[in-house]
Amino acid sequence: MAEYKVLFTGSVCSGKTTAIKSLSDIETVDTDTSVSDSAIRRKRKTTIAMDYGILDLKEDSRLHLYGTPGQERFKFMWELMMSDLVHDAEGLVLLVDNTRADPFKDIQFYIEEFRDFIVRRRLIIAVTHSDEQEFPDHHFYMNRLKEMGLFTTVLFIDARDPSSVLEVIKELLDHKEKGIDWEAMGERLEVNSTMPGAVKQDEVAQTEDISLMDAALNTRGIVGAIHLDDKREVLSSKIENPHNREILKAMVNLVSALEKKAGFLGHIEDLILCGKDQETLSVFVDEEQALGLCSDRELSINVVKQQAADLLQWSKE
Amino acid sequence: MIELLNLVDHPGVVECSSILKGKEVLASSFPEQYKNHATIAKQSFNYVFATAAKMKSKHDEAHLEIGDKRLSGFLLKGDLILVCLSAKDSNIQQVRKQARQASAKLLKDELEELSKF
Ligand SMILES: Nc1nc2c(ncn2[C@@H]2O[C@H](COP(=O)(O)OP(=O)(O)OP(=O)(O)O)[C@@H](O)[C@H]2O)c(=O)[nH]1
Ligand SMILES: [Mg+2]
Repeated sequence: MAEYKVLFTGSVCSGKTTAIKSLSDIETVDTDTSVSDSAIRRKRKTTIAMDYGILDLKEDSRLHLYGTPGQERFKFMWELMMSDLVHDAEGLVLLVDNTRADPFKDIQFYIEEFRDFIVRRRLIIAVTHSDEQEFPDHHFYMNRLKEMGLFTTVLFIDARDPSSVLEVIKELLDHKEKGIDWEAMGERLEVNSTMPGAVKQDEVAQTEDISLMDAALNTRGIVGAIHLDDKREVLSSKIENPHNREILKAMVNLVSALEKKAGFLGHIEDLILCGKDQETLSVFVDEEQALGLCSDRELSINVVKQQAADLLQWSKE
Repeated sequence: MIELLNLVDHPGVVECSSILKGKEVLASSFPEQYKNHATIAKQSFNYVFATAAKMKSKHDEAHLEIGDKRLSGFLLKGDLILVCLSAKDSNIQQVRKQARQASAKLLKDELEELSKF
């Protein structure tokens, strides 16, 4: 029996669990749990440990499918998986949600996190959610990745559609394992489709919405937060340390002023303030809202940025 | 001062830099095209560090990401601020490293000045 392995990773909501469900011949091992600590208007379930499924390639060969949890706070699982379960995987599939504010920031983040893992393996970038957000298109990806020094395959897929996800596997294995009947496999997997209008999804009762604030305050290392609307008015705020609260407020004001005065230089993405033995203070903005965070100084700036991006993304309707 | 900035600027990391004393620019390697960035950095960093000082906090490093650039401000001592401009996707740790070199050099020069007397 020839056994192959592949690891799927990518940001929250990029479709890891869905892709593995689409491909698996067995009932997938599902460690999804209701999202208890974030705004769940957009997303009700998130993976906490990992996803696992098996795809039969031929009589005598199969592919083990693994997926990481997306949320940054479950990152310890990534290390664990790389060093143990999937140390012998063929490749890494990086799912990129095209609706993210800056998909290339995600790519940069994951490439960095999985750097050691991909030096010896195939990396395939699979862009999802392009039915909801067309741009950046394939051409744009190829150019930007070239600029980033990344020469890799980019495929546009819909994680809900088995035959679409199968293209990724074909790209990964076709030269390794000959004689696979891809077409028949696609037909066989059609039952796994979760495309709208395909199999009826058993809808779970909508859990009540939890605010972005609760989500933020339950995120690792975040000790205080302030949530603002598109006019940069405070929606809610919870920061214990009065000094930090004042500084963060000043930072928010500064960012709004800059947006008005310096907008011609480009989008003001964030303002971060740190110092030795000081909690890191940061402000992140998108068109619809702004988020101020007060976080443990141990967290690196990159991690804070990723967390903020996840939080802002998640709370979108 | 300008030699100090030469020490900070580093291809691929810090594109250009300046040293501020409050609203006064002591030295700068910002080219004309980044004139607006320089102004924004001056106003923003003076404002955040002044606010932090008023609140008796020891925050001494700020980053502002705007367009595809990142402006970083390092409070050296008193009201001396080192400003660095880098590409947004460049490594922040490296920018820090360049800035630290400068602050160490500044301190050393100062000690030498003092020892002359
Ligand atoms: N429209 C559209 N929806 C998609 C696509 N891919 C995935 N989805 C949907 O996006 C939602 C999130 O997908 P998941 O598979 O749960 O995402 P995940 O990457 O496992 O997320 P975490 O486990 O929280 O990290 C699901 O409702 C999917 O049906 C796509 O290409 N287009
Ligand atoms: Mg999942």
